[in-house]
Amino acid sequence: MRRSLSDTRAFPWLLLAPCLLLAMAVVLYPTITGIDLSFRQMRLNRPDLGTGYVGLRHYWAMLDDPVFYVSLQNTFVWVVSTVVVELAMGMLAAVVLDMELPGFRAIAVVVLLPWFLPIVVAGNIWALMLDSRLGVINAALVGLGVLGDFKPWFADPAWALPMAILVEAWHGFPFFALLLLAGLKGISAELYEAASVDGANLWHRFRHIQLPSLTMVMTAAVVLRAISLMNSPDLILILTGGGPGRSTQVLSLYAFQKAYREFNFGYAGALSVVMLLLLMGSAWLYVRLTGALKDD
Amino acid sequence: MAIRRPMPERAIAYLIALTFAFFAAFPIVWTLITSLKTEKDIITRTIQMIPTAPTLHNYVAIWTQSNLPDLMINSAIVTFYTVAICVTAGTLAAYSLSRLRFRGRKHVLLFLLLLRMFPLVLMVIPLFIILRDTSLLDTKIGLALAYSGFLLPIFTWMMKGFFDAIPLELEEAARIDGCTRLGAMVRVVLPLVQGGLWACAVFTGIGAWNEYLFALMLTTSSGSRTWPVGLQLMVGEFQLPWGALSAGGILSIIPVLVLFAFVQRAMVRGLAAGAVKG
Repeated sequence: MRRSLSDTRAFPWLLLAPCLLLAMAVVLYPTITGIDLSFRQMRLNRPDLGTGYVGLRHYWAMLDDPVFYVSLQNTFVWVVSTVVVELAMGMLAAVVLDMELPGFRAIAVVVLLPWFLPIVVAGNIWALMLDSRLGVINAALVGLGVLGDFKPWFADPAWALPMAILVEAWHGFPFFALLLLAGLKGISAELYEAASVDGANLWHRFRHIQLPSLTMVMTAAVVLRAISLMNSPDLILILTGGGPGRSTQVLSLYAFQKAYREFNFGYAGALSVVMLLLLMGSAWLYVRLTGALKDD
Repeated sequence: MAIRRPMPERAIAYLIALTFAFFAAFPIVWTLITSLKTEKDIITRTIQMIPTAPTLHNYVAIWTQSNLPDLMINSAIVTFYTVAICVTAGTLAAYSLSRLRFRGRKHVLLFLLLLRMFPLVLMVIPLFIILRDTSLLDTKIGLALAYSGFLLPIFTWMMKGFFDAIPLELEEAARIDGCTRLGAMVRVVLPLVQGGLWACAVFTGIGAWNEYLFALMLTTSSGSRTWPVGLQLMVGEFQLPWGALSAGGILSIIPVLVLFAFVQRAMVRGLAAGAVKG
């Protein structure tokens, strides 16, 4: 009998080939090229400068760049606060929705919606609702007596970043709710029964059964979300463009602007490499601290 | 976990759940309301909750007086290419990772996961240069290839989960009956993972349809520009009126809402499985 192709040792790799080749061509190769670029001179609008190696020049320049420090600080605030707010909201939503009361299935679908909406629409919806002249949120707050007058939220350096975090939290908390809810569904009924025999109240049940069972999911969700918050400047680009002043400037946006507006690909590359290093470092530290993967 | 609960507990649970639902849905509902208002109803400080004279004027305006239809056709084509690439390459890869045991399998899975970590900004700069050098810059297929880079790993992970859920015995029975491995995959396994495949395809499609940053950087002309970039341009440069903007927003999220409604259950299951195991 002739051995068919599907029994050869190459077969698994044959099936993987299109996927891996594509991933290498459009992710791995560009990333490596990007790292290489960060050590080069590369300005699309200044071809006269050439594309020679300049060593660590971009990295040294970063140390003298005040915008870099501001962006670094804002990135930290932006990523940490957004993740904390989203995790808290997602956790509360998941624990409540896990009670499976009548109608909760439909509510869960509605709660998930923002996650699937395009950033361009999400950003502009909120820009409209927070508008300084016609915004419905301003009108509601004035009506309730919380605000004396309409407030231009995104024109106020003190409020622009917190408001951007609010909008991002609206968009992103469903991601946590989705994953945590799936995690809660995996807890066996016996655990709850044992707890109720012991007379545990809601808080005890959360603290001693639900929270420990969710450690793995929580770590995965936090890392994935932090990666995407760190990497994507989309929402801030649409809401504020980094302003007013530098009050919402984050690293990913700064790198993007260096590339997109100034065509300074070398410096933008160096900023992105710093981002990648920060990301890998903090993911490693976070996983280490929570000890979520210890038992694997 | 459904058990009988005391009344106050149920009341609080409903209160919290409905608050979340309101928070999630209100901005969308408000956009819909705004899109049905006349300009006079929008530009007023006494906020009109209900439009005094509901009108479809904004929809007609954005559809006939801007290039939104062209932009949405471009987006649809890019989305189609992206989904086609992901479904073909991703299904084969997921099948291999789920069904076959070979050396390096774990490493491939880890590699696909790590791909998510690379900053988009770091990738997009060289991608710009690569696509320019291969004359794929500012083309729909070039943008679709770039999208496949970050959507394909997620697709593969999700799809692998759906393959894992199909019992091996079914496939073995088909092979004993004389099917080749590929024959068994096409005739036995694929029909069984159909629901999952649709969910993964829709997830990838929504990702491509919604994407903004790559499109902004990698398309430059109206021939391949996608709707998020076009709509944002209208907001920034032409001071698009709120009513028309809202109507454009609603039009562009209709495909997302419809597809999401069809496959949300399977999609949620796949996403959760992919992330929990990853």
